[in-house]
Amino acid sequence: MTVTEVHIDEMMTPYPDKVRKNRKKHIIIKSAESAACPQIEANTRTIPGIISQRGCAYAGCKGVVIGPIKDMVTITHGPIGCGYYSWGTRRNKARSDDRTPPEKIYTNLCVSTDMQESDIVFGGEKKLAKMIDEVVAIFSPRGINICATCPIGLIGDDMGAVAKEAEERHGIPVIAYNCEGYKGVSQSAGHHIANNNLMERIIGSGTDPRTEEFVIYLLGEYNIGGDGWEIERMLTDIGYTVNCILTGDSSYEEIKDLHFADLNLVQCHRSINYIAEMMKTKYGTPWLKVNFIGVNATIQTLRDMATCFNNPELTRMTEVVIERELARITPALEKFRKICNGKTAFAYVGGSRSHHYQYLLRDLGMEVIVAGYEFAHRDDYEGRDVIPTIKTDADSKNIPELHLTPDEALYQEAHLHLGLSKEQYDTIAAQVPLGDYEGMYPIMRVGRIMVDDVNHYEAEEMIRQLKPDLVFSGVRDKYISHKMGVPSKQLHSYDYSGPYAGFNGAVIFARDVADALVTPAWKLITPPWEEKNGNRSDSDA
Amino acid sequence: MEVMTSDHQVRSVNEDQCQMCMPLGGVIAFKGIEETMVLIHGSQGCSTYMRLSNVEHYHEPVDIASTALNEKQTIHGGEANLRKALDNVIRVYNPSVIGILTTCLTETMGEDLDLMISAYKHDRNLQGVDIIPVPTPSYSASHTEGFWSATRRIIEHYARATAETSGINIIIPHISPADIREIKRIIDLFGIEYTLIPDYSMTMDRPFGGNYQKIPPGGTVPADIARMPGAQATIQFGLTCPEQLSPGEFLRRKYNVPLFSLPLPIGLKNTDRFISVLSELSGRPVPEVLLLERGWLLDGMADAHKYNAEGRPLIYGEPELVYALCTLCAENGATPLVVASGTKTGNLETLLSPILPDACEKTIFLEGTDFAAIDQAVEDQRVNVAVGHSGGRFLTERRGIPVLRIGFPIHDRIGGQRIRSAGYAGTLSFLDRFTNALLEMKYGSYRQHCLEETRGKGGY
Ligand code: SF4
Ligand code: SF4
Repeated sequence: MTVTEVHIDEMMTPYPDKVRKNRKKHIIIKSAESAACPQIEANTRTIPGIISQRGCAYAGCKGVVIGPIKDMVTITHGPIGCGYYSWGTRRNKARSDDRTPPEKIYTNLCVSTDMQESDIVFGGEKKLAKMIDEVVAIFSPRGINICATCPIGLIGDDMGAVAKEAEERHGIPVIAYNCEGYKGVSQSAGHHIANNNLMERIIGSGTDPRTEEFVIYLLGEYNIGGDGWEIERMLTDIGYTVNCILTGDSSYEEIKDLHFADLNLVQCHRSINYIAEMMKTKYGTPWLKVNFIGVNATIQTLRDMATCFNNPELTRMTEVVIERELARITPALEKFRKICNGKTAFAYVGGSRSHHYQYLLRDLGMEVIVAGYEFAHRDDYEGRDVIPTIKTDADSKNIPELHLTPDEALYQEAHLHLGLSKEQYDTIAAQVPLGDYEGMYPIMRVGRIMVDDVNHYEAEEMIRQLKPDLVFSGVRDKYISHKMGVPSKQLHSYDYSGPYAGFNGAVIFARDVADALVTPAWKLITPPWEEKNGNRSDSDA
Repeated sequence: MEVMTSDHQVRSVNEDQCQMCMPLGGVIAFKGIEETMVLIHGSQGCSTYMRLSNVEHYHEPVDIASTALNEKQTIHGGEANLRKALDNVIRVYNPSVIGILTTCLTETMGEDLDLMISAYKHDRNLQGVDIIPVPTPSYSASHTEGFWSATRRIIEHYARATAETSGINIIIPHISPADIREIKRIIDLFGIEYTLIPDYSMTMDRPFGGNYQKIPPGGTVPADIARMPGAQATIQFGLTCPEQLSPGEFLRRKYNVPLFSLPLPIGLKNTDRFISVLSELSGRPVPEVLLLERGWLLDGMADAHKYNAEGRPLIYGEPELVYALCTLCAENGATPLVVASGTKTGNLETLLSPILPDACEKTIFLEGTDFAAIDQAVEDQRVNVAVGHSGGRFLTERRGIPVLRIGFPIHDRIGGQRIRSAGYAGTLSFLDRFTNALLEMKYGSYRQHCLEETRGKGGY
């Protein structure tokens, strides 16, 4: 079914005029395959009273970017709820390795200052300071993060000063993130704040250069369900040194060496592009937009990476691994593909996944008819080319931009990081997405919809109108579609499954999707006494 | 929060918390009122997080709107956003009731909700929508108090002096929809009319019905709440409910409705108390089917006792449920050795001490606690079985202690909303689960012992 303006107008009838006008700017129907992406409104304020799927800056900073750093203890400075709610909800996995022993892993902890009324009145600085001392005494972590919640900004606690004093007392980094939930318009603000602090405080503090070959860092991969490990497996087989998955399964110990990277890979563009760009400015490190979700997408990415390094052995091994993996997974994938082929889906997730998963779904013969991000910016839809034209508003101005200059000792031109000549580099940059991201628009087909910050109500109406076979979303809207008889899969936490990345992940994903599509319960909705002749709903159609 | 650990050290760190925040409890209470939408006044993150917690437990759509305050409004006040939010909620959901809960942010800002709402109602000439604000600053209490506060405010809002009715009031704490349904079934057996509040048994656990509605049907009817002051009596399962938040206390003081403050009908003795009061109030004998159910329970208790005495339980969660489960375990020979709640009621120990047998081992009570303190107490008391919500799952991972899931939240297993433990029948299903957890452990280690014996200690 092709979507028209009429559908959209119909959906928006109950909105007050102003809301309708506002929301229309967040929705784009692709009209002609070749046309450039029309401007979409994104990263603007959520409408009060209209249930958005967005979270807060604190959620983006603590929950997404900072929380997974495994050898640091992250303290939530605020009342109890915020900390509780961000406890273990992301399924970012971590394990010990030669640099981080098991007793130095704190990702399962949830530590909060649990502010009480008197702290709100008299300030929470003393409590915070005492708490840092306790955390050091109990856990002796390599570093401590402190994340602010809404009331902190209001009562004016000087977290920075408390952190600085604690740092002097204990001799470990104590980093304060002013990520009060009301900053910006969504968790995206929190990503930016986290990126800034990581860049200023941790990246670049390591002093022992890496001596391995082809050292890469995988930025914006959170290792949900072990995705990062599956990617690491392939890359290691090919011959890369994956120094760190940032921030899923990352450690302070690894992040401080980030500036020794030959190449940064960017998986989730939205949450981590700031670090990638800042490192390019400060150290000259090139970054490559990658996508390890989908078989063909993974192959493309592996080949792009090989192109970047332009090394015959690496290129050969890339093809060897691709061939080996394809031979291994194709039969299993085919089995599930038969079930998935021709089915349609919605994808409403995060700031990258709704784009990435379209590749994997195409591998399975499925098509996404409505795709949307919760907290993306225009460049995630339209591509990085539009960045200079994005207007800053009151909300984005509140997030500080770091103005970095090249590091005198460590900066070197991008091509030198890759061991290439300037000419070689330029030729390659024209072939692969080095320092570039094209956004979601190009993959959308004509008559399909892109929708920004889709809300509860719109999601529901679109499911009603367009009747997809499957809805990919977060858990918050999962059960609306269930109630409407449409199966749904969570793409934030994978419904406790995964990994979904790379070759092995594709098979697991295909299995889960096929399972969802054939769930027998959906065929048993009508009881036998209500079935009309010849209209059996429980047939194996 | 000052946390008393079992070795009585005072710590300021709350490590792995055992409670949630105040508006969350309020949300659940409002979900038990017919045709209601909930709006959280604060930044959008709070409402998004609370939806997440509810959805993961109830596996239902849980719509919670937010006034979505940004940095600017934290300085200039949130009134404009509140008005926009109300406009939109009314347009899209068309509710009869809107419950507004505050957050730490708006409480710290000192927003005067009453004033803003009356101005809004006046300007919009609003008819047919009741707006009920409830202050819920999490820095002063947990979700348990949020639940009681909201329930009381709802009653305060609607209650009117009315002619005497023949019915009774039932006020419940935060329990599973399945338990609400069980309690209703039992009352129905006595043929008494009643108003149960808040009744989220059909709104937070909807049977699949094809036709999805934005506000699920069900919930306590406001017109019935209005008549609560005329009832014969109030039964409130709220031994641990602080007096100033107690809805039953409010009805007693203001309208002289006699209050029966009872424990939750979980466990034989607790259920007996509930049934006796129902029989007394209705003037009817206890229905045959309940006698049968009581008999089955007794039979089960006798069967299970020899195993249960080996249980060394930790019981944690919301105080009302903790109290009931402690009595249940105690009457089955499994004396609770650690009793814990993230909520601070201050009376759990006083309430429970008389019913715990004078055993040589002393029970540790932890209130307003966190899981770090619970974990320490578990070690000190050599606990071998835990009863509570998903927060304690680390006990299995770290210590191999089975966690019998009950209460809220249960997000790592399915069916939390369907766990039925109330009444004689519910008690028996809980007891069987409890006993079987011990048996599973016994046989598990029994096999291990056999293995060690046949192989000789230390293996081949
Ligand atoms: S700010 Fe308060 S109300 Fe909001 S999530 Fe945190 S504890 Fe709960
Ligand atoms: S109070 Fe602020 S930081 Fe905490 S959950 Fe709410 S929006 Fe996020």
